[in-house]
Amino acid sequence: METKTSSSLTLNEEKDLRESLKRCSQETVDAAIAYRKYGEYEPVPTIVVGIIERYLEPEVRDKIKDCTEETRLYEDFGIDSLTMVETVMLVEETLNISIPNEDLRELRTVGDVKTFIDCKIRGIPVPRKPRRIPVEEVAAAMPHQDPFLFLREVTLSENEAEASYRISGSEFFLEGHFKDDPVFPGSLMLEALGQLAVFYLVKSDHAGLEGNVDHKKVLANSCDGIRFHRICRPDDTLDMKIKVKRIRAPLATFEGSISCNGERVAIAEEITLAFAFEE
Amino acid sequence: MRRVVVSGIGFVTSIGNDQPTVLANLRNLRHGIELFPDFASEKIPVKVVGTIKDFDTSSYDAEDWSYPSEYRLKQELLRSLSPHGLYAYCALMQAIEDAALTEDEISDVSTGLYTASGGSMSMIYRHLDLMNRKGVLRCPPKGIIASVAGTLNFNLVAHFKIRGSSSGFVSACSSSGHALGFAFNEIATGRQQRVLVVGAEDCNVESILPFAGMRLLSLSRDPDRASIPFDKNRNGFVGTGGAAAMILEDEECALLRGVDPYARFKGWGQASDGYHVAISHPEGEGLRVAMEQALKFSEVSRADIDYVNAHATSTLTGDLSEILALKEVFHNGRYRPAISSTKALTGHGISLASIMEAGFSVLTIKREFMPGSAGIEILEPEADGLNIIRETQERVAKTVMSNSSGFGGSNVSLIFEKI
Repeated sequence: METKTSSSLTLNEEKDLRESLKRCSQETVDAAIAYRKYGEYEPVPTIVVGIIERYLEPEVRDKIKDCTEETRLYEDFGIDSLTMVETVMLVEETLNISIPNEDLRELRTVGDVKTFIDCKIRGIPVPRKPRRIPVEEVAAAMPHQDPFLFLREVTLSENEAEASYRISGSEFFLEGHFKDDPVFPGSLMLEALGQLAVFYLVKSDHAGLEGNVDHKKVLANSCDGIRFHRICRPDDTLDMKIKVKRIRAPLATFEGSISCNGERVAIAEEITLAFAFEE
Repeated sequence: MRRVVVSGIGFVTSIGNDQPTVLANLRNLRHGIELFPDFASEKIPVKVVGTIKDFDTSSYDAEDWSYPSEYRLKQELLRSLSPHGLYAYCALMQAIEDAALTEDEISDVSTGLYTASGGSMSMIYRHLDLMNRKGVLRCPPKGIIASVAGTLNFNLVAHFKIRGSSSGFVSACSSSGHALGFAFNEIATGRQQRVLVVGAEDCNVESILPFAGMRLLSLSRDPDRASIPFDKNRNGFVGTGGAAAMILEDEECALLRGVDPYARFKGWGQASDGYHVAISHPEGEGLRVAMEQALKFSEVSRADIDYVNAHATSTLTGDLSEILALKEVFHNGRYRPAISSTKALTGHGISLASIMEAGFSVLTIKREFMPGSAGIEILEPEADGLNIIRETQERVAKTVMSNSSGFGGSNVSLIFEKI
C-alpha cells in the first residue's frame, strides 16, 4: 500500500486529477485537491461519496443524499461489479492508493467503502468483517466428525466465533442421558465450546498465530469458572460463542458462553487449548 | 426445412438513421458522403467518408457522446460500448420495434442474437494507451468488453437478456453476411424461432484510415466523385460505419404474430477464393461459387434473379473480379438481372456492409423499386453485357441477390424473394 500525505501535487498532476474527476461535483474536486495538496483526512469521506455518486445513473443519483453507512452499493444503488471496479479505480487514482482485488469483494456498503479507505490512508489495519463459513467447510477443517461434531455454520470474526447447534433428539448419548429423559450433557456443552475454539484456531488469522495451526494437534488443556444455568433438551438450539482472551503458542485461552432463546445456558470463564503449528 | 422471413429492419447509416430516410435516399440516389473534418490535416491524403449524422461519438469518453433523443441508454451501458456499439443498439431498437417484438419474445430460449463487427480500433488504442500511462491495474475495467471484436454480442446479449443462441462473426467485409447466413440455418433447421442480427462498425479515423496504407481508399476530394463502383475511373473505396439490424423469423411464427414481413430469406451460399490475404481472385472465382451455391440452396434458377445488389466497393481489382463472376453466373448476358452497387451512396461499411445491403435488398422487394448504381460516368468496359442500371427503376424485383466479399477471399451471397 502506498500512502501519500505529502503536499506535492504538480500542475500536471492537478490537471490529470481534474480531468479524471470532471464528472464529479465541484465539492468533490475541491476536496480531492485539498487532500492531495495538504494531506487532509477530513475531506476523504466527501471524496469517496462524490465518486460513488458520479457512477450512479441519473435516476438514482438523488438517493446519495439520504444514504447511510448501511446503504448497499449493489442492491440499493443498482451498480454492478464492473461499475464498482470503476468506482474504486477512480478512488485509487484520486487518493493515490492501491486497493487489492481481494479487499474489493468485502466492500458492499457505503460504510464499508468509507471505513476501508479511511483505514488505508491512515495506514491502520481495516477491521475484518465477520465471515460466515458453511457447514461443509467447517466439517472439512475439523478433526472431529459425526456423531461427535457439534458445529454447523460458523461465523468467524476478528476475535471471536459464533455457531449454533440444534439438538435433534437422535444423538446416540441421549438414549442413556438420561433413561427416558433426554437432556443434553453439560460436559458436551463444554466439548461443543471447545470444538468452536479449535475451529477458531484452525481458521482465524489472529495476529498471535504465526503459522497454520495443525488441526490434529489441538488438545484440551484446562477449563475454569464453569457454571450451568439451565438444561437443554431435543429441539433446543445452543447458541455458542467463544472470545479470545489470549493466544501465545503453544496455549490459547478463550472465554465461552452458550445461550438458548436468549436465556443463559452455560458459561466457561476460561477454556485453554494447547496447539502446535503445521510443520 | 422451415421457411425464414425478414420481419424487421433498422438502420444507422450514412444515408439515414431511420427507414423512411434510407428509402428516400436509395430511391433518389442521394449519397451520404462528405468531407470528413477529422481528415482535414494536410498529412492525410484521404478526405471523404460516408458520415453518420446526428451522432457524435468523436470523444474517447462515451459519456460525452450525443445521439438522437428517441434513444435512451444508461451511462453504465454507454461506458461498455464502442461507437459502433451505440449505432448497433439504435439499429437493433428500430428493428425490434419494426418487428413488434415484446421483451418476453426477445428474452426467450427460442430467440438468438448474432452480431458482426471488427471490434473498435479506437477503443483498443485508447485503452492500451491508458494502461501504458496509468498502469495495468488502472486500465478501464470495461476496456475489453467495449473494444475487442465481440463487443457487440457481449453487450447486446446481456442488455436484451438474450437466452437463445448467440455468437459474433468476423470475416471482414462478409462478416454480417455470415451472421445472416448462420442465423438462417438456425431457423431453417428449427433450432431457433427467430434470430436478431446486427452488423456495425465505427466511423472514425482509426476504423477507416488504416485502409489507406493498403492503397484501398479513394483519395478523391470530391464527395460526389469518390465512391463510383463500376466506373472506369474508380480509384478506391470510401469508408463508412454505422449499423444495420435485421430480425429473421420462422415464417409461420411471424405470420402467427400478425406481422407483415419484408421478404422471404430464401437461402444463401458461401465460398472462399483460396488465393490471397487481401486481393480478390482475379476472375472472382470464390464469389462465383458463392452465388452458385446460393442459387442451389435457395432452389432458385438464375433466370429468376431480378436484381443483384453487388458488393462492388469502387476498387479497381475488386469490382473487376465481381464483374467477371457475375458474367459467369449469368451466362455472359444470357440472363440480365438489374445490377447496382449501393456503395456509391453509402461508402463501404466493412463488417456492416452485407447486412446493410441485405436491408436495402428487402426494402427493394417490399417497396417495389430497384436503386440505380450512382456515380457512373464511363462504365467499366469489362462490364459490357451486364445490365448495370444507372437510374432507379420503379418496378417489382421478385427475387434479389446480395453479394459480399471480404479479406482472405471470403464470399457470401444471399437470396431474398417477395412473399
